[in-house]
Amino acid sequence: MDFFLLLISTGLVIGASYGLIAMGFALVYKATGVVNFAHGELVMLTAYIAFSLTQIFGLSFIPLMLVTIPISMVLGLTLERIFIRPMLGEPVFSIVMVTIGLAVILRGVTIMIWGPDPHNLTAGVTRDVIRVFGIPFYAAQLMSIAALAICTTLGWAFLRFSRIGISMRAVASHETAALLVGISVSRTHAMAWALSSGLAAVAGVLFAMNFKLAPDLWFQGLKSFPAVILGGLDSILGAAFAGVIIGLIENLSQGYIGQGLREISGFIVIIIVLMVRPYGLFGDRDIERV
Amino acid sequence: MILIILDTRFPGAPPMLELRNVQVLYDRAIEAVRDVSLAVPEGQMIALLGSNGAGKSTILKAISGVLYQENGEIMSGSVALDGKPISGLQPGDIVRKGIIQVPEGRALFAQLTAEENLLMGGITRSRADSRAAMDMVYDLFPRVKERRHQTAGYLSGGEQQMVAIGRALMANPSLLMLDEPSLGLAPQVVDTIFDAILNLNQSSGVTVLLVEQNAQLALDVASYGYIIENGRIVLDGTVETLRKNDDVQEFYLGMSGGERKSMRDVKHYKRRKRWLS
Repeated sequence: MDFFLLLISTGLVIGASYGLIAMGFALVYKATGVVNFAHGELVMLTAYIAFSLTQIFGLSFIPLMLVTIPISMVLGLTLERIFIRPMLGEPVFSIVMVTIGLAVILRGVTIMIWGPDPHNLTAGVTRDVIRVFGIPFYAAQLMSIAALAICTTLGWAFLRFSRIGISMRAVASHETAALLVGISVSRTHAMAWALSSGLAAVAGVLFAMNFKLAPDLWFQGLKSFPAVILGGLDSILGAAFAGVIIGLIENLSQGYIGQGLREISGFIVIIIVLMVRPYGLFGDRDIERV
Repeated sequence: MILIILDTRFPGAPPMLELRNVQVLYDRAIEAVRDVSLAVPEGQMIALLGSNGAGKSTILKAISGVLYQENGEIMSGSVALDGKPISGLQPGDIVRKGIIQVPEGRALFAQLTAEENLLMGGITRSRADSRAAMDMVYDLFPRVKERRHQTAGYLSGGEQQMVAIGRALMANPSLLMLDEPSLGLAPQVVDTIFDAILNLNQSSGVTVLLVEQNAQLALDVASYGYIIENGRIVLDGTVETLRKNDDVQEFYLGMSGGERKSMRDVKHYKRRKRWLS
């Protein structure tokens, strides 16, 4: 039983990380129709920025997030402005290629600035074990799960109630109609990038706190992909939920079926999802009335 | 030297919207609209008639500034609102100037609710104005109010058209451009929609540019009409003149004087007319 609980708890933590990263993917995809392959790199870069901030200013977790998130949003806006905005109107495939190029650049820049050696990012959080319903957690692990819950709730409320959030859904739904009511589509795209980068910061810092901060952190972007697909690519809340499911599946399959399954079980899920339910668990099916 | 051009069609009333010799190309190669000039005077309802592919929607897209979405461009000519050129402005700025389009086929935000669609229509206005406008739309279309929490994509065609018009009204239009509002609707529903449009024009003083394939309907409500064929205006006049015109009767109103002509005659005749115009 303890073994099972341990698998569940670590599964939840890695799942929360996948969920946060997948939400960033889904947000940009929903608003702009582009899969941002540089998102994993943004997660890594923002974690490194946070690391430097703790090194220089010795910030604890909450102030650190309050500083890192806005910096990341500005970073996202800048990258969108430089690399993506000029591509507006080009085929989606070209834009996706640009994001892949951007990913490689960001990886290189990160190693250039911070070097290849791993670091520890603690942000003043204790390493004490806290038991929740008998399941042992580290404080940072609980913070990951809480962050996912908070981001999901905020994200839901934002998309459901705020004018900017609804206009993002409107742009995703019908771009020409959005222009015709006076929504600035390019500003909406920029906003999606900014918010997605903010989410990347949350994901990056928490991942680095729970595991380690190394230049291979970008790979978490690809590892979150099963969650993005399972959630439905354009469903932000679906991505969060699917992240947790993928995290649990990975850990349980590793624990009960066999070593090595952690790495592949998520991608097996992708294949099954694409065969059975290509629009994911929560994705928008195109509404067609006959 | 100042040259004053007198518009003899509407003496005294300067046109609100004026297109002069507009040419539109898609992909810099395909000419969709050629040398189109038309005037929409304030307070009037002007009809733009023509068959499929004649260039009606292209003209509306040119006015709204969304041609670039389909790789189209105004190559020459001018589009002016109250005498000031508006071609080249962002679509959002054109909306803020009061020119609102109800696009062809409704183009609702299908995944959003009816109310969210309306809310987006008022995105360029303050929250308070937007709320007041929403009450106005609900008064005009009580049916939309009943269905306001439904996903727009699942509404019936008529309800969708009401939401589309309501969404346009949310922006407080001074010029409302409707692209085939009768498309795909049952006759009864068409009546409701056209009553609402007529009411908006006559009671609320909204200027309307009505694009229609259904000439019968359009000539019933409009005051002046333009007929477009293959991207060119081939005929224009008051609805009374248009109604009396033999060609309009033959090709747009489906009234044939005397014996029926064979399709070959019609084609030949059409070709000749276009050549002459």
